[in-house]
Amino acid sequence: MSDIDIRAVAHRFGALQALDGVELAIGQGEFFSLLGPSGCGKTTLLNIIAGFIAPDSGSIAIGGRDITRLAPNQRDIGMVFQNYALFPHLTVFDNVAYGLRVRKHKPELVRQRVGEMLALVRLSELAQRMPHQLSGGQQQRVAIARALAIRPQVLLLDEPLSNLDAKLRKDMQAELRRLQRDVGITTVMVTHDQEEALSLSDRIGILGGGRLQQVGTPLALYRQPANRFVGEFVGQANLIAARPAGDGVFEAQSHRIAADAPLRLRADGGGGGDGGNADDGAASLFLLRPERIRLGPPDDGVSLVNAVRGTVREVSYAGAGLHLVVRLEGAGELIVAAPESLFARLPEPGLAVHLAWAPHDLVVLAAERSTAPGQPA
Amino acid sequence: MSRAAGGGSWFPWLLLTPGMVFLLFFLVAPGVLLMALSLRDVDGMLMLLPSYSLAHYASAFASAGYWVALGTTLWVAVLTALLCLLLAWPAAWLLVTTRSRAWRTVMYVILISPLLTSVVIRSFAWIVLLAQNGLVNDVLRKLGVIDAPLGLLWNMKAVIVAYVQVMLPFAVLPLATSLESIPPALPRASLSLGAGARHTFFHVLLPLTIPGMLSGAIIVFALAAGSYVTPLLIGGRLQPLLPINIYQQALQIANLPLAAALSLTLLVVTAAIAGLMSRWQKQWERRVHGH
Repeated sequence: MSDIDIRAVAHRFGALQALDGVELAIGQGEFFSLLGPSGCGKTTLLNIIAGFIAPDSGSIAIGGRDITRLAPNQRDIGMVFQNYALFPHLTVFDNVAYGLRVRKHKPELVRQRVGEMLALVRLSELAQRMPHQLSGGQQQRVAIARALAIRPQVLLLDEPLSNLDAKLRKDMQAELRRLQRDVGITTVMVTHDQEEALSLSDRIGILGGGRLQQVGTPLALYRQPANRFVGEFVGQANLIAARPAGDGVFEAQSHRIAADAPLRLRADGGGGGDGGNADDGAASLFLLRPERIRLGPPDDGVSLVNAVRGTVREVSYAGAGLHLVVRLEGAGELIVAAPESLFARLPEPGLAVHLAWAPHDLVVLAAERSTAPGQPA
Repeated sequence: MSRAAGGGSWFPWLLLTPGMVFLLFFLVAPGVLLMALSLRDVDGMLMLLPSYSLAHYASAFASAGYWVALGTTLWVAVLTALLCLLLAWPAAWLLVTTRSRAWRTVMYVILISPLLTSVVIRSFAWIVLLAQNGLVNDVLRKLGVIDAPLGLLWNMKAVIVAYVQVMLPFAVLPLATSLESIPPALPRASLSLGAGARHTFFHVLLPLTIPGMLSGAIIVFALAAGSYVTPLLIGGRLQPLLPINIYQQALQIANLPLAAALSLTLLVVTAAIAGLMSRWQKQWERRVHGH
C-alpha cells in the first residue's frame, strides 16, 4: 500500500525546468531517499511535498488524501531542516512541545509526549537546555524529536546529516535508522550523499535534470543502473562504448589493448534498461565497477576477451581499499578498486598489471531519461 | 594603559583616544560643570552665590508641577516608543520581504527622509497641516465631515504624532535588521509543526525580534524624553513637559542652577530606564545566543 503518491509533478523556476513529470509511489513505513547532484530538483520535490512550494502541475496525496492545495500547516507532516531550525529562544522541552501546544493539547499530555520523545532520542537530561548549548548531533536529535512529537503521517528530512562531521554522521545514520524503524513512520530524505542514501534507505529515487532517472533498492541501483547517469552518480564506474563484432563479442572504441587491437568484451545479458539490445549493430555502453576488476601479475592473456594488460598510473590509498588508475597499453584507462590486504606493500606507478573480469560483471546501460539530454561529463 | 608583553594591547586604546578626548571635552566636562552649577546657591535676583547646597533639587522635588512634568515626559516618551514599534513592524516587514533591490533603496530613502529635514521646518509643516485653518481642517470641512474646525494643534496628541513621524526610522532600522537575521527555516519549521501565520508571528517572529525592538525603543524613548523644540512649536509652551520647563528656566527666567538640577534629574531618570531596557536586551541575547 502506498502512503505518498506523487503524480505527474512538474515545476519551473523561470527558465529552469526544476521538475518534469515526476511519478512516485512511496510505501507505508518506507525509508525513501531522493538522491541527486545539486540542482537536480530533489529539494524542490521535498518542498512540494511539505507544501512550501506549490507545483505548477501534478498532485500529491498522502494516505489517499489529496494535499496538493493544502497549506503546510494543514498537512500533518514532520520536517527536519538542514540547519535543524530549532527555535533559539525556546528550551529543548519547549521546542519539542511546540507542535503539541499549537494543537492545544492538555499540559499533562504535552509533558508526557515530550518526555517520550526526548527519551526516544536519548536527550531526557537536556530538556531545560537552550539550543545554543547543544552540540550539532544533539540539535539534530531535538529536531527529529520535535518533528515526531506531533505524530505526523510522514517525516521529511532535508540533508539531515550534512552539517555533522564524518564520525558523528556515521553514528547519526545508525540512530536515524533505529528511530525510523522504531516509530515505523514513512520517511522521505533528501541527500546528495550517495553513501548515506545507500546505507539508510529501503529504496532510492535518483533525480537528474528534474526527472526520476531510476527508482529502486540500493542494491538494484548499484548493480543494475538503468542508465549512464545513474551508473556514474551511484558509485564509481568505468564506462566503455563498444560495437558488436559477432559471436556476442563487442569491440571497444575508446579502450585498446594494443595499437592494433581493441579491448574485447563479452557480457551475458544483465542489461538494466531497454536500450541494451546487443545485436542491433549499434554501439552499446557498458558499465564495469572498479571492484569487479580482478588484478593480477602480467601474463600473456591479452588476446582473451574481458582481459587486458596495463600500467599503474595513479594510486590512492583509502584505508580499507586502494584505488588504482590503470593505463591500457593501447588506449584508455580503467579505474580498479582492490582490497588493501591484496598487497604486501603499496603498488607504485609504473607497475605492470593484468586486469580481468567476468561477463556478468558488465552491465549494459540504456540512454538516460531526459527530454533534452544533457550528457553528464 | 598597558604596554605589557605580547605587544599591541595599547593599540586599540590608541585608536580610541581621539574619540575619548572629544567626549571628555564635550560630554564629561560639561556634565561635571552642569552638576556643579546645579548645586550653586542663588540670591533673590538669581545671581550665583559662592555657596553650594541641594536647595534646587529640594525645591524641584517639593513642587508638584515638576513631578507632573517628569511623569508626563516619561509617559509621552513611552507612548511614542510603543507607537513607533507598532508602526515599525509593517514597515520593517515590507523592507525585509521586498525582493527588488531598487524598491528597497527607494523605501529606505522614504524612511530616512524625515531625518533629512530641520526640526523647525518639520514642525511648521505640522502646523500648516493641523492649524484651525490648516489643510486637514479645510479638507474635513469641504467634505462636510465637520462644521467647526477641530483643535488639532497645541495639544499632546499633536506632539506625539510629530514625535512618531520623525522617530519612526530609529525604530524601523534595528527591527528590520533583527527580522532579516531570522533564518527562513524557522517560520517554515513553525508552519510544518501545524502553526498558522498568526501563531508563528506571536511565538517565533515577535520573540526573536525583541532585541531589535528594544534597540529601537531605547533610542526613541531617549530622544522623545529630551525633545523641546517639537513640543514647544506644536504643543505650545504650556505643555507639562520637563524639557520645556528646563528651556524656560534656562533661557527665559535665567535660573541656571535650577535648570541644571532639572536637566540632571531628567538625564538620570532617562538613563536609568534606558539602562534597564538595555539590560533586558543583554539578558535575552545571552539566553538565546549564549553571549
